[in-house]
Amino acid sequence: MVDQVIRQPAEVRFADELERLSSADSAPKPKGWSLSPKAVRKFILGDDKLNVSQKFFGDDPLVDRCIVSLMGQQGLMLVGEPGTAKSLLSELLAAAISGDSGLVIQGSAGVIEDQLRYGWNYALLLAEGPSEKALVPSPIMNGMRAGKIVRVEELTRCAPEVQDALLSLMSEKAITIPELGTVSDVRAIPGFNIIATSNLRDRGVHDMSSALKRRFNFDTVQPIKDAGFEKQLIGKQLAERMADHDISADMSDEVMDVLVSVFRDLRTGTTSDGASVAKPNSVMSTAEAVNVAHAAMLEAAYLDKGKVEGRHVARQIKGVVFKDDPEDDRKFKAYVDYIAKARSRGSKPWSDFYKSSKTGGDG
Amino acid sequence: MADPAFDETALKPNLFQEKAGLFIAPIRHHSPACAWAVRDLIRSVKPKEVLIEAPIDFEAHIDLLLDRETKPPIAVVTLVKGESKSRRAVAYYPFCAHSPEFVAMQTAREVGAAIRFIDLPSGAKAMLRAKREGALISLTDEQHFGSGTYVDALCRRTGCRNGFELWDHLFEARLGERDWRTFLNDAGTYCAGLRAATPRETIISEGDAARETHMKTCIEGALKNGAVVAVVGGFHAPALTGDEDSLGGTDQTTKPAEADSYVIRYGFKALDALNGYGAGLPQPGYYQGLWDRANEADGVPDMRAYALDLCSQFARDMREQGHLIAVPTLVELLRSAEGLALMRGRKGVSRYDLFDAVRTALTKGEISINDAWTERFSDFLCGTALGNIPFSAGSPPLVEDARLRAKQNRIDLGDGARRRRKLDVHRNDAHRKASQFFHAMGLLGTGFADCETGPDFLNGVNTDRLFEEWSYAWSPQVEGRLIELAGHGDQLLDACLQELMLQRETDPNGRNATDIERSIILLGQGILAGIGERLPPFVLALEGDAQTHPDFCALGNGLQRLIYIARSKSPMGAPESLDLTGLSASIYRRLIFLMDGFGDIREEDVQRHLETLRLVADLLSGDAKDEFDNDLFIDAVDRLLSKSLRADVLGGVLAITVQAGRRPESTLIEALKGHFEGSSIDLEDRLGVLRGLMTTAPTLLWQSRNILDAVDGFISSLEEADFIALLPHMRLAFSALNPREIDLVAGTLSRMHGGSLRDFSPGAVTATEEELQLGLALNEALKTSLQKDGLGDWLEANT
Repeated sequence: MVDQVIRQPAEVRFADELERLSSADSAPKPKGWSLSPKAVRKFILGDDKLNVSQKFFGDDPLVDRCIVSLMGQQGLMLVGEPGTAKSLLSELLAAAISGDSGLVIQGSAGVIEDQLRYGWNYALLLAEGPSEKALVPSPIMNGMRAGKIVRVEELTRCAPEVQDALLSLMSEKAITIPELGTVSDVRAIPGFNIIATSNLRDRGVHDMSSALKRRFNFDTVQPIKDAGFEKQLIGKQLAERMADHDISADMSDEVMDVLVSVFRDLRTGTTSDGASVAKPNSVMSTAEAVNVAHAAMLEAAYLDKGKVEGRHVARQIKGVVFKDDPEDDRKFKAYVDYIAKARSRGSKPWSDFYKSSKTGGDG
Repeated sequence: MADPAFDETALKPNLFQEKAGLFIAPIRHHSPACAWAVRDLIRSVKPKEVLIEAPIDFEAHIDLLLDRETKPPIAVVTLVKGESKSRRAVAYYPFCAHSPEFVAMQTAREVGAAIRFIDLPSGAKAMLRAKREGALISLTDEQHFGSGTYVDALCRRTGCRNGFELWDHLFEARLGERDWRTFLNDAGTYCAGLRAATPRETIISEGDAARETHMKTCIEGALKNGAVVAVVGGFHAPALTGDEDSLGGTDQTTKPAEADSYVIRYGFKALDALNGYGAGLPQPGYYQGLWDRANEADGVPDMRAYALDLCSQFARDMREQGHLIAVPTLVELLRSAEGLALMRGRKGVSRYDLFDAVRTALTKGEISINDAWTERFSDFLCGTALGNIPFSAGSPPLVEDARLRAKQNRIDLGDGARRRRKLDVHRNDAHRKASQFFHAMGLLGTGFADCETGPDFLNGVNTDRLFEEWSYAWSPQVEGRLIELAGHGDQLLDACLQELMLQRETDPNGRNATDIERSIILLGQGILAGIGERLPPFVLALEGDAQTHPDFCALGNGLQRLIYIARSKSPMGAPESLDLTGLSASIYRRLIFLMDGFGDIREEDVQRHLETLRLVADLLSGDAKDEFDNDLFIDAVDRLLSKSLRADVLGGVLAITVQAGRRPESTLIEALKGHFEGSSIDLEDRLGVLRGLMTTAPTLLWQSRNILDAVDGFISSLEEADFIALLPHMRLAFSALNPREIDLVAGTLSRMHGGSLRDFSPGAVTATEEELQLGLALNEALKTSLQKDGLGDWLEANT
């Protein structure tokens, strides 16, 4: 049965590491936490002595800040571009702090207030009237009762009035149930807190009210700073994805360099040699780079000779990343005209990339 | 201290050799904790001499540094003569109140010990290690503290992110402890670790070995007189204890260059900038506060109270600047800081905990690389203190350099009298140099000289004049301004470059973006001031600005000025060594890029944009024909035609493509007629295409008979009332023509109608006696009316 699941929650995947950390943990724990803050840090950033793997890379102080935030009254809001491992970080934090990363609300435009507070089993409600038995608690209510971390994914995708429901939940740390009588409410016990993740730049997201912002501590998860490390990570993830296919496609180091530089240049607005580049609005995250590499590989393997060239990368970038924004198209064109052109003089993959971008587009 | 960082007993250097009377204090520059330990060490040992790692030629300044009127931050600045006369290296040795070196000197005075400086002279090659051209050189360089395998390994072990946090975690947290032996031993071990991870070749090649040999000799000499305390950079300590084999570095091959040094007032901002190059702990304001508190408490400062005070002062400052920090937020900030400190196993809240807490508690939203709150807090911790030195300190090098140059140019500074000088700037080299000196002084804002008459190349006024007439006077204000600018460099020309760089970044209108046109005017000013050959870094910076510049018109005007500068033979022409092609190419590329956005320009910006379009088209067909790829421009213009454009933009753009031969004349005529005969209710709109045409390519009007026909046909077809209504707009449209062009058009037009230009000259108009009388009467009535309205001046101004 277990083999059938694509992805187990973090507390199951890393159960042995959590076990080791817990038995070695002598530091004081905040009330309701299953590990001390130091052990939570070790769980996420790794510890050689206890053979705990590092799971989140590139920004240790960020992890410190998140842990300390969660000890306080404020919720924790992780923001940043898509593909920067925000959800992974929130899952790891919940798994380490509460031993349970399953209290999740997956935010979307379709989420309603009931999913944040509580709903009813309507058959029972009609048959017996409002009762504790007929109540369907939300993950937040469950988290309050059990003193656990609750995760709200993609909070800004929820409608503003749904977001508003969080306001009093977070300041009162309680949910009242007027249907069950005047004194009926669920009060959070220590250990409860909320980790929200959201994307502030994508289309179709709602602004957060400043009242809600005040109840959260914000932390931005940044894209990976080190180019070499990013390349390594892309290669690793690519290998994982390609393992599902029974084909072989070969992506040379130089082509990978082209891909990583294009993404980094456009993401940061400066090339490695200091020339400035107009930043597109499209997301240029590591995850997108993996998508492009993956698509380029499939194209090369199934539709071409099997060797990934600059042109595959060029075509896939256009398709995968620059979808519908004409302004971005201009920016990419300018990048190709000035940066890629200059590089194409000395390098075959760049020249292949340049030619394909130039002719394959709409110009 | 039981920290594993100091377990490596093998590294522990033999710092305190009581039998020999030698006590070595390994320190980090601007570290209050080190200063504290050094003071206790000197007070307890009471040595005969205190030796300090500072250039030996600075000994002359010791009395001035310890003068009662001297208030840190101050710096000793040294000017080292380079191989060529024009390039002198400038290096700084700053002191704060909490610098271990400064505290050591004060304590030495207190216990009656002699003070000696034991480093190589500041002119020695080993002392000046500029990492890049034009960088500020610090004589308190300690780059080894920031990185390296030893630091990285310790960071990993302690969970610190970099060498600075590590240092604070291990050492600054111990400020105020009384056990100087343990503290200095731990610092010594740490530094020995740094040194062990540094390759011997690096130590030799960077000149450290040579300096250490010199220091060792000085220490050995001093030991003959009695007990000695040597305050040295921690990195050098292991070499001075006698534990390490000599690396044999000497600096005998080259004699130290001549150097002049001065004590100058310094500021925390400047110090922080210098520390940015790895010359000590950053944000001196923070450490100064720590030092003061430790002194008040005469022991370990209350870190909690300090964090509270810092944060509430920061909140007050921010409130004044309009950034409100609510009390609950402030509480969360402090809670986070303490929580972080606790989790990281610190004794108290450290600088990095505060930064992390600021980020957590204050930022609401996504941050990019530079977080506004982090920057504000960083500024706040940097502090604003300015030092002071007594009047007897002598004048700094920039003032001397200005005086010297004045003398070379035979400009009399003997007294404060205002004098005049007439300069033949085109033909006489010496005069041109003098003019450059005046311009340079003007650029620095000294108010030394005014150009009363002469060519104004910057604004293109009277450029045909041959002579400049200047009046000038040396005053305390001039000198004051130069002293203020002492941090810009030791030479007038260096200071000019720094000033240009600074002005480029500070927009007088308070906007953030740098204005490229203004920057190119600055470039011209620089050339006039004679620093053309030093401008490449400035030009490079402008290239970067151009790549992201948002304003089409500023770029176009900038390009025109730039081409003038690049080609002119006047005093504002660029010297041969200054290559401007990269910059002009970069501006040109940006212009082309911005043209794709022409479809969306606002009404009030249309005229400006069209005029700039003409300017660029003229440049491309005239002055700069061969420099740019003309096709890129025409392509971009042509591309615009596929979009829906306002009538005037359409006219302007079409006219350019027709003029360049890209589109047939008929398209323009079609557009003209289409709008003339169109159904627009607003008559003005119907003239739009014509207005655009007149702005970007008026020559078409007399070069192409068909176009003129179309215009003429439209005007002839108008009803009288419509004609009167359109008249003001037509006047506006035709005002783009200059008098010669008006003559050309009028001539062609009158021939078309079977007449000649003479028919319109004043003599050709005949009036009857009656009409003349009517005219005169009207004139009188108008005059009376104007005078009645109190506008009589209008009449007089014209006569």
